[in-house]
Amino acid sequence: MCKALIAPLAVAIAACLASAAALADSSDSARVGDIQYGNALDPTGWAPLLWPDPRGFSWLHAGMMRTPSGVLYPYPPQRDDQGSPLYKDSDWVYGGFLQAGWLHLSGDTRAEFFRQYAGWKSGIALGLLALYADNPKTGQYVEFRGSRLSGDDQYYRLRAGQYGNYKIEAFWRVIPHDVTTDAYPLWNGVGSTNLTLPAPLVPGGSTPAQVAAVEKTRPRQTIGLTRRRAGLSFEDKLWGNWIGYVSVVNEKRTGTRLWGGSMFFNYVLPDNGGILETVRPIDFSTTDIGMGLRNVGNVWQFQLTYTGSFFRNHKDRLDFQSPFQLSNVAGVPQVANIYQGQFSLEPDNDYHNLRLELSRDLKWNGHLSVAAAWGTMRQNDALLPPVTCTGTGGVFISPSANYTFDCADWNTTAALSQKTADARIDTGLFDVKAVFHPTPKFGWHAGIRWYREDNKTNYLAFNPLTGQYGYISENGSQGSVVPGEVGIFDPRNPLYWSYVTQVRAIPFGYTDSILDTGIDWRVSEADTLNLSWSFDRNQPKYRERKLVNEQRIKLAWVDRALGKGTLRFSYEFAHRDGGPYNYDPYQPFYSTALPGFVTPPLGNAAFTTDAMRKYDLSNRIEHKLRAIVIYPIGDTATISGVVYATRDNYGAALGRQATRNRGVSLAWDWQPSPATSMSANLGRDDSRLQFSNVNDFENLLGQAGRDNPAFGGPLYPFANQWADDDRERDYNAGLTLRHDFGRVRADLGYTYTYALGKLGYVFASPGALSTTQQPFVATVGNGFPDNHYHINTLQLGFDLAFTRTLGMRVFDIFETGNFADWHYLGLQNSLVIDHKVYTDLGPHPHYRANLLGMMLNLKL
Amino acid sequence: MIFASRRSGALAVPPLACAVLATGMALAASAPFDDLRRQPPVHGDAAAGAAKAVVCAACHGSRGTAVAPTFPNLAGQSETYLYVQLRAFQDGARDNAVMKPLAANLTDRDMHDLAAHFASLPPGAARPVAQKSPRGDTLFHDGDPAAGVPPCQGCHGPDGRGPRPDLASTAPQPAWSTFPALAGQNAPYVLEQLKAYHDGTRVGTSNDRVMQGVAHNLSEADMAALAGYVSSL
Repeated sequence: MCKALIAPLAVAIAACLASAAALADSSDSARVGDIQYGNALDPTGWAPLLWPDPRGFSWLHAGMMRTPSGVLYPYPPQRDDQGSPLYKDSDWVYGGFLQAGWLHLSGDTRAEFFRQYAGWKSGIALGLLALYADNPKTGQYVEFRGSRLSGDDQYYRLRAGQYGNYKIEAFWRVIPHDVTTDAYPLWNGVGSTNLTLPAPLVPGGSTPAQVAAVEKTRPRQTIGLTRRRAGLSFEDKLWGNWIGYVSVVNEKRTGTRLWGGSMFFNYVLPDNGGILETVRPIDFSTTDIGMGLRNVGNVWQFQLTYTGSFFRNHKDRLDFQSPFQLSNVAGVPQVANIYQGQFSLEPDNDYHNLRLELSRDLKWNGHLSVAAAWGTMRQNDALLPPVTCTGTGGVFISPSANYTFDCADWNTTAALSQKTADARIDTGLFDVKAVFHPTPKFGWHAGIRWYREDNKTNYLAFNPLTGQYGYISENGSQGSVVPGEVGIFDPRNPLYWSYVTQVRAIPFGYTDSILDTGIDWRVSEADTLNLSWSFDRNQPKYRERKLVNEQRIKLAWVDRALGKGTLRFSYEFAHRDGGPYNYDPYQPFYSTALPGFVTPPLGNAAFTTDAMRKYDLSNRIEHKLRAIVIYPIGDTATISGVVYATRDNYGAALGRQATRNRGVSLAWDWQPSPATSMSANLGRDDSRLQFSNVNDFENLLGQAGRDNPAFGGPLYPFANQWADDDRERDYNAGLTLRHDFGRVRADLGYTYTYALGKLGYVFASPGALSTTQQPFVATVGNGFPDNHYHINTLQLGFDLAFTRTLGMRVFDIFETGNFADWHYLGLQNSLVIDHKVYTDLGPHPHYRANLLGMMLNLKL
Repeated sequence: MIFASRRSGALAVPPLACAVLATGMALAASAPFDDLRRQPPVHGDAAAGAAKAVVCAACHGSRGTAVAPTFPNLAGQSETYLYVQLRAFQDGARDNAVMKPLAANLTDRDMHDLAAHFASLPPGAARPVAQKSPRGDTLFHDGDPAAGVPPCQGCHGPDGRGPRPDLASTAPQPAWSTFPALAGQNAPYVLEQLKAYHDGTRVGTSNDRVMQGVAHNLSEADMAALAGYVSSL
């Protein structure tokens, strides 16, 4: 009886949901591009078309349906006919909608949080253009959708096909991403590969006062990038149950990004060196190719896919000038003026992956799936010379203490052991899963997953011109300030034969095996239990641990006996441990492993303290708790709440100690009729990260005991320990209201976000501080000033209908923000502090911005 | 509640069309439409109705059994169903050249009483057939999921004598009393109505919209099989 009743209900529901489903940009194997098409004006991409149908949810009943958990389904979007015939007696019908008009910006419209992902621009804008034509008799269709806020913020998508046969999709979109709108780069050439200092600054010869004076005259710029994406895909039913597809997507990213530019330490040596916030170019393109073949039979299912990704960087280096003079701390005055720096940026690289999946049904309502994949990532870009300097770098103290180097031996590709990178990482995957449901009340699943990342890169930093190993650090600046800190190892030269430096690329990789199993048990009509267990065995290569094991057990309970409500509760416990911890596994890749290395009488300085544990490898105990309650209020409202907490404790004396996350959220949804809907939400999330470390006893670095890694030893005394406590608390609230008055529709939205950041610290003694800060210990306090980020956004809109086909939308978005962030303290006075040059002034401390829009609505 | 006339069920509407046509424009009322989803059961005076049913008897018979198979039997039919049909004839939500003028001058009291009268009459016997249609039986009890056809018994009852709702269910309840009994109904009449649903010419009530979605995927042969089957119940 019940079954019989459900069937017609299902048909009616399906009929009413058909249009709602059409609005979901659901993904499938042949999809290209993005799952979601939208912009800041309309993140959904469909808002003008989403007004609920006044006819309601179903012709069968006036009430609302809920999900099995009790959440109200949204009313289906309105529709009023099937479109117009394309021409007389045509089987094709067409329809469309256009929303276009004018946007007007006012206030602090350059505020970065107002523009972060929005290409707002005063002027004409296309809110939405949607067109379709289809043939109900043949199942053929063509759809188009597009929107344009400005040249940097627009999207267009075309789909065509025939249901059950083939489909084609093409898209093009431009997405903005501004990082800061308050940047004052010191350099000329921002966006290029060569940053030069503006006159009258002299590279390597300017004082901080001169640099600050010029910096104040620099124009404000926006730092950010624009993504231009285009794609094409085709899927076709080849024969029988065989379906093939191919897709190509190309994304081009252009713009700029805040970057670095170190010319040796400045904190340790005030009035020396240089720490520069430069700007690097972004000029990438990535082409993704996918193709596949699948067969969905009655018993077996088969899928073979190839995925390729090809990254190209059209600006693969950044040269920059430093304005400051370097001065050597010992020896005769510096012989070469090192003021030029260079970064090698991301290399071109290729990725290929071939994956085969087979699955079939089994007895006991079971299903088996097997997947195997092989992939490879490769890059073989031409390598850049180690330095760009000319002349003689380094420091000359005496003929027997000559720490100079000839730039000509290093500023050529002849100084490289190989001309190209020849880097390669291969991956392999094998995955088996089985699921059985022998009875409606009981289910069991098990799986094994094996994955390997095999890094075959083997680069040796060897200069055949000099016979030396290593890499001249920071374009020679470091060795031109501190004698001997050139960055090279030379087994023939006593000045360098004990120098510890990395000489080989470390081919990090790992093998990961996961075994998991679990059961589902419906204890009663109202209660379901799920218990699962997994064992993860990770074997990293060239890491501090060769084996890391993690066991995880999860218990979930779903209860529908809470009145009309649903409770979902889950608890998860995980325990991680592993093999012995080696605090310095990198020796094979350092000069200490090379023939001719001479261990100094005092031994090599310890790589780090033996008590340090890296967080991804240290022992860990994790607890996770989550409870979700969904409670229907009458026929038209739902209240829901989520409470969660996660607690991680790490077995480490030094390193990450613990993390805590917890949160609570409440939401209320009300849909009294298709004409009215309202929702409100409140949330709070707290996170905490505790970390501890120890400062090395810097005065000991030239003395006995420097090779002792023990925490509590002479190099890492307990007195030098410090700890920080990083807390963040986020609040959010939101309110939405929509009402259809008939010829006028109104929508209101409000969102509030507030993030509070607190970073506190404690230290055992002034020895925990950098030597440069120890004299100021009395002013250090116990934490940084709190960070505050407030944003309020209010949106109000009216849709007016003049006729059945013509209307207007008038709307306003008003946003305010208030920020206080210690990272940017002091920069308002000057972006130049000693030998440090900053570019980003940070977010506007206060801003108010407004967007007023008037759009014409036209049904086509 | 009155809505604009629409001619097809949602299942037939292609995806983007549904979205594109939600234009944000106000809908203008242009055709009568009876929304029966909140229709409560009605109760009239059967005796008073008997006195008012003289004209009806010309087609539907003095005991509610139609004089010709192209007319529906009314005896034993759901009282609320009969009432909402009379109201639909009167307000134009259901179009019929004969019934429209007859219903035009009825008061709401008249319609209640007439409905009560015919509902109180004992239903006629099933039409004897040599063999019930197997296809009709299947469609009636199981539907045809592959063709998108739900079983009729879900709303009209397993024996065709009206719905047997699960009133304990927490799901929203349809207006069950507005669903008709089908058992013993005249086959030509049933076939004509199924065709009207299928062709989109009977769409003036919310129940018609449900039937429109059901009949949309029925072939002519299936409609004939169903009509024959329900008349044999």
